[in-house]
Amino acid sequence: MVQAINSTLDSFMARDDSIILLGEDIGKDGGVFRVTDGLQAKYGTERVIDTPLVELGIVGMAIGMAVSGLRPVPEIQFQDFIFTAFDQLVNQAAKMRYRSGGSYNVPMVLRTPYGGGIKGGLYHAQSGEAYFAHTAGLTVISPSNPYDAKGLLSASLKYNDPIIFLEPKRLYRSMKNDVPDEDYEVPIGKASLVHEGDDLTFVTYGSMVPLVLNTVSKNNLNADVIDLRTIMPYDGETILNSVKKTGKVIIVHEAPRTLGMGAEISAFIAERAIDYLMGPILRVTGPDTPFPYRLEDYYMPNETRILKAVRKLQEYR
Amino acid sequence: MDEKEMFVNAYRTMVLARTLDKKIVTAQRQGRVGFYTPTMGQEALQVGMSMALEKDDLIYEYYRDVPFMLHRGVPVETLIDQIMGNSMDNEKGRQMPSHYSAKEYNFMSVQSPVATNLPLAAGAAYAIKYRKKKNIVVTTFGDGSTSTPDFHAAMNMAAVFDLPVVFLCENNKWAISLPVEKQTKVEIWKKAEAYGMRGLKVDGNDLFAMYEVAKAEVEKTRNTGEPVLIEAVSYRMGPHSTSDDPSKYRTDTIPEGSEGDPIVIAEKKLKEKGYIDDAQIEKIKNEAKELVDRKFEEREKVPPPKPETMFQDVYENSNWIIEEEKGDIL
Repeated sequence: MVQAINSTLDSFMARDDSIILLGEDIGKDGGVFRVTDGLQAKYGTERVIDTPLVELGIVGMAIGMAVSGLRPVPEIQFQDFIFTAFDQLVNQAAKMRYRSGGSYNVPMVLRTPYGGGIKGGLYHAQSGEAYFAHTAGLTVISPSNPYDAKGLLSASLKYNDPIIFLEPKRLYRSMKNDVPDEDYEVPIGKASLVHEGDDLTFVTYGSMVPLVLNTVSKNNLNADVIDLRTIMPYDGETILNSVKKTGKVIIVHEAPRTLGMGAEISAFIAERAIDYLMGPILRVTGPDTPFPYRLEDYYMPNETRILKAVRKLQEYR
Repeated sequence: MDEKEMFVNAYRTMVLARTLDKKIVTAQRQGRVGFYTPTMGQEALQVGMSMALEKDDLIYEYYRDVPFMLHRGVPVETLIDQIMGNSMDNEKGRQMPSHYSAKEYNFMSVQSPVATNLPLAAGAAYAIKYRKKKNIVVTTFGDGSTSTPDFHAAMNMAAVFDLPVVFLCENNKWAISLPVEKQTKVEIWKKAEAYGMRGLKVDGNDLFAMYEVAKAEVEKTRNTGEPVLIEAVSYRMGPHSTSDDPSKYRTDTIPEGSEGDPIVIAEKKLKEKGYIDDAQIEKIKNEAKELVDRKFEEREKVPPPKPETMFQDVYENSNWIIEEEKGDIL
């Protein structure tokens, strides 16, 4: 996935000089995850900017650049460090178009690695997608594989509003699939049905997609697996179509359960398809604790916990 | 424009701003306006800065910059439309009064959280530098803003990247109830040195002094591409907002028309220079009152925005969630 993101940035920068990357250690060092490796050497220090260590400054400057006609791609080294820039995101980026009556807009793609599974502990493993999804004006995306990473990033780099592009760092190097050389886009706001079945619907995204797919194939589950790809606005139609077919839903995400995306999606389903449901909507998520270092494996959803939810739903016929 | 004309025009703007200010405060008390943050006392420093700028310079202003906007040509009715939040408002009635936006005159739309405009100004200046243009960015903020992380981030970034930003601190001595002495231990202009940029202090109540400093510093920034911090010392003659009662926390005042009032100071100097006489002053004040009264009555009749506008401009293209909610509510 690292390579897919890197080469997409590269090819867009080659043809659009308004694209500027900025962030901590992204230039000479190529970023702590090497996502921007080689780009400064190719495009210069003016377009791949090593910034001082100040997240709110990175985001604030990027917003100013975007308003002035550039297309900045700020990187926040770990999503856990984004919170000093939260004000800039919520009160400047997200509201710019609205508050100016459409005079100004912020075409910015904020990239940031998120999520656990790399022994990151409290401050290198959080999944904060719900904070951003709760903010009108932001668009939140998370790819689950290199193909989608390229397609979603390509669409994002043509989008005229601020995007929070959440990269599941656990999949940076573990997820490999074929990425075509030619240009293509994965549309923003469209989920992908990555496995089809009749008995059960999984709704998930990001690093949980490979986990759910493995669980489904290993245990021969006859299930739809929906990879949201865009977290906000999520693809309600794809979810509803599947739920109406299967009548059973399990939502899987790493982020804590309370007020996570699972809460929104279950409310959405309950409002529109309760008559189709054969059992409760279940959630397999991280617990409502901070993200622990040594006990990471207990925090992250896993096959055992998913199967426990599956068995519970099997009681409803 | 010769110097006489330039300063008389500046004075005219100051009077117009003061007249509009008082009109809105009165209207607020009468229940015709919801809220307002008066500018009274800060006219000279804003107009003095504006005089030094070019048309294509960008302004990242805050919520107390009416004189600045008027001097750059923003029509009185544009400001009144925003105060009313009516259907002619550039922002479609979405923001509280005093949060203007005027792209045509290169004014950014104003946010409430203080100093969050400063990092944006640095970014806009980066874009200017990157595109090798010659315009500059001016960003304004009060003394309270100098305590924020955004002030620090923007000052540091502008210096590190050598960006053409004029940081204009409108030190009006009070951040709602907190006096500047309790806001910061050192004089504001001195902070510039720590970031590696030029810094200086000016009497912001003196139009002539302010213009002189602004002209020199704007020119330096335009020529060198380097930032500067200007502390314009002034005084917030009115309350923080129409919801604020300063008698609870301060006894010092500069009453309107007293010798500390920047308009009185400007009148004195203009007369000394022979640029203006009492009859002209009277005429300018009457014209301002007539214009403000007329525009105010006129714009008060403009209808409010249509309900469906609430759901516009969240994104370039709306999404199913917003459309569904619109259907539910309207």
